[in-house]
Amino acid sequence: MKPEPGKWLHGTLPENVTLGPNTVITGDLAFKRFHTRLPDGLRIGAHGTMDGVHFDLGENGRVTIGDYCYFTNVVLLCELEVRIGNYVVIGWNATLADSDFHPIAPAQRVADAIACSPLGKGRPRPPIACKVIIIEDDVWIGPNATILKGVRIGAGAWIEPGTMVTRDVPPGARIMGNPAEVIGEVS
Amino acid sequence: MSGRKLPWDWYDGELPQNVKIHEDAYVETSFSFRFFRSERSPGVEYGRGASTYLGTMFDVGPQARVKLGDFALVHGARIICDSEILIGDYALISWNVVLMDTYRVPTAVAGRRSELEALAQRELRIAAAAVEARPVRIESKVWIGFESCVLPGVTIGEGSIVGARSVVTTDVPPFTIVAGNPARIVRALTTEERDAE
Repeated sequence: MKPEPGKWLHGTLPENVTLGPNTVITGDLAFKRFHTRLPDGLRIGAHGTMDGVHFDLGENGRVTIGDYCYFTNVVLLCELEVRIGNYVVIGWNATLADSDFHPIAPAQRVADAIACSPLGKGRPRPPIACKVIIIEDDVWIGPNATILKGVRIGAGAWIEPGTMVTRDVPPGARIMGNPAEVIGEVS
Repeated sequence: MSGRKLPWDWYDGELPQNVKIHEDAYVETSFSFRFFRSERSPGVEYGRGASTYLGTMFDVGPQARVKLGDFALVHGARIICDSEILIGDYALISWNVVLMDTYRVPTAVAGRRSELEALAQRELRIAAAAVEARPVRIESKVWIGFESCVLPGVTIGEGSIVGARSVVTTDVPPFTIVAGNPARIVRALTTEERDAE
């Protein structure tokens, strides 16, 4: 039997979203903040389950997700690029953010606050640090975890619930805490 | 409650038959039971004056049960349960808290892959692998701060406080404040605090 094409249960998918067969997206807020203009802004492989995920992509954001991924109520904040492999599980209310959203220098933040304000119409925002997030195959990320910009999580790593990940994680490592520490290896 | 529909509900659902609700308890929405699969009777039990609000999800497996004590207030917790989670009287559970007695998927990669392949074929897309579950006990008068996680097998003793965004990995003694990720003891409640009326 040929699997059904991918679908979003609550509406018509944006044109720049590609879903593999049998991938299901639920949640009416999935694309509430989906602003990317890239032709392949979001690409999800086959047999995925995206339950209550927020695909919050900036104008130039690109997210690719492999096959057999299972995310529950994940907040995906992407201004640049997030690449996720196959068989990745991300738990409830976890957050991934590939951007700082605002500049570090106070003077630049003043400019940014003005640009973002109701008075800032059309004013350009200062440059903001973004770095690609890469999550390799078979990674498990627990509920309430946070993955920040520039992080690469190696294949098969296990991220305990609530972990704050700010640095690369070696393949097969088990990590937890804030700041995150390696507490062992996946057996 | 007649018909098991909540008159004030925004979600078009019903309370499962094996959810036992004290007449003075409050359930904000039946959406909380979207992932409820318990076959036990009762699968969830609300004590007198207990309440659950939007965001609370009973992700409760077929053999599992959850009990909310009298006046327990659950403001939006993800309850991931395959054995038993007990929430004591007067417990206060804040928003985005995770109470889990199981990790739901095998830690070994091969087992996790087969579970994800099975999940993708299910009508209700939820992980249901037979992995170890260890009951969680939140004793009476416990207060858990927002976005904290309580991991499998943990007991939080009577009257204790868990600071916001903590991750509780081991038992917490009674009348103790813990905080941090992983959670550590900050201090014990003073005798004055314990005995205050």
